Amino acid sequence: MSHRDNTIVISTSDQLLQAGTRRRFLQLMATGGAVVLLPSVFTACGGDSTGTDNRGQFDLNLSDDFGILNYAYALEQLEAAYYTAALTSPGFAALSTPEKEVLQDLQKHEVIHREFFKAVLGDRKIGTIGFNATTVGTLTASRSVLLSTSQLLEDTGVSAYNGAGKYLTSATNLLLAGKIVSVEARHAAAIRDIRDTTGRAFAGDDVVNAAGLDVKEEPANIIAAVGGLNVLTSPVRITTQPPTKAGTPNMPAPVPA
Amino acid sequence: MQNDTILETIDPEIVDRLVSRRDAIRQGATVSSGVAAALALGSVPVALAVLSREAKAQTSTVLDVLNFALALEIFENEFYKAVLGTSSSAAQNTAFAPVRGLAGAVPTAVATLQQIQKHEAAHVATLMGAGATNVFSLTAASFDFTGNRGVGGPGPFAAATTDLAFLLTVAQGAEDTGVRAYKGQAGNLMSNTAVLETALRIHSVEARHASKIRRMRRIAAGAPDTVRFSGTVRGGGAGAAGATGSPSAAVVAAFGLIYAGEDNTNQGGVNILTLAGANFGTDAATEAFDEPLTRAQVVAIVQPFVIPTIA
Repeated sequence: MSHRDNTIVISTSDQLLQAGTRRRFLQLMATGGAVVLLPSVFTACGGDSTGTDNRGQFDLNLSDDFGILNYAYALEQLEAAYYTAALTSPGFAALSTPEKEVLQDLQKHEVIHREFFKAVLGDRKIGTIGFNATTVGTLTASRSVLLSTSQLLEDTGVSAYNGAGKYLTSATNLLLAGKIVSVEARHAAAIRDIRDTTGRAFAGDDVVNAAGLDVKEEPANIIAAVGGLNVLTSPVRITTQPPTKAGTPNMPAPVPA
Repeated sequence: MQNDTILETIDPEIVDRLVSRRDAIRQGATVSSGVAAALALGSVPVALAVLSREAKAQTSTVLDVLNFALALEIFENEFYKAVLGTSSSAAQNTAFAPVRGLAGAVPTAVATLQQIQKHEAAHVATLMGAGATNVFSLTAASFDFTGNRGVGGPGPFAAATTDLAFLLTVAQGAEDTGVRAYKGQAGNLMSNTAVLETALRIHSVEARHASKIRRMRRIAAGAPDTVRFSGTVRGGGAGAAGATGSPSAAVVAAFGLIYAGEDNTNQGGVNILTLAGANFGTDAATEAFDEPLTRAQVVAIVQPFVIPTIA
């Protein structure tokens, strides 16, 4: 694979909203590529950053269960912040009543997940991640982008939990992660179904492979992909990768319709 | 080498484990008292035998879970094949013909059922590829989807063959049982991370199925708003099924088993109802987490639909 195929270079935040960029972003989730954000992205959004420089607070040491649970906590922070912003967005206002019920449910569940991890991690938790209000605003500006972004977040959540379960060493923690991942999968199916006309997209061939297996991805690729969304004002970094453990072969990445 | 001869008589997977265990022991890892005692006696063959037995025990636990999961997937696959009219049993196809006609009148309903059945068939193949065996010799004829184990006439779920709303409620129950069954077994697969990951990836597919079926029921305007458009499970016990019409006492009792404990609001020692910053009440607290079932609970739910004993 050439270098060019394995890296996305993003120079403006608008690029993140282009279907082609998102498709490449998702393909990278499957191939372990890199997302490069040029300084111009941050320049364009710099004025919207909130909070102080929290660099260092979001380092993930994935060598133990605390690190893996913090990884989940980071993803839940992202989802909770996104849906909380979504509820007052133009995209939400454009939804039908049944569609609004879905987004309202998702917001509650993701906030609960975030607060749950915050409580169980106690003193071991990473900091509160800041979010780029401009990017979040753009990603909730219409019904279409709200639903496609929600689908991306939920499928990413499923993929992240499915790929990280094998690194948990405590059966209790594995069960807790299992209790959450199936809820993320229900969310993903619901959002996909809203956008669908075929009756098959809730568990479409783009996320469930011929072996009947759902998406899964390794933490490094998830963190790179989330960074590529340009919604975090402070980078979440992996300082220590999890120990090598046998998993299952990957599959072609999901591609938003 | 003599060691090679010894090892060749042992399952290759155990040999792999022995090699990794040998490396671990070299690195100072703790070993069981049986292995340590054998090594202290200077008896490598005895240590090998003990290691082999331990490896076998662990492997058999994983295989046992795989065999159990395979039985559930065969059950689901045969159920949807009967509904779709693609079962190898003509009697099953004939039984579900009325409800199949009703599903055909709902746009995309058949496509959804086909998509789900495709996954269940893939799960059967994937589990067998991972080493699972059809230990109960289940075939299309092994199931009584009316819930009476093939004796004494149609059971309490017979209406699933003629009533589309009820069929979908039953399908929802089957999918949610699958989600809960895999969740309950994950901890037993931790010794084999490849198998664990396979199970987790099946687990989330079952959750996608369950979500879609809830949405179908709600969109059809028959199901109450406790059946969420978000596809999540509100509350626990029989009420969490959101069954419509007037289900019989036997059906209510069955759903009571399927959703037992889903109303849990204490997660890992954290009371979700008193979480600062997430005060959304009991409904959301139960929806946000799915709960496991033990193997015995799953067998109690599924056995009425399976003629051979699967315990």
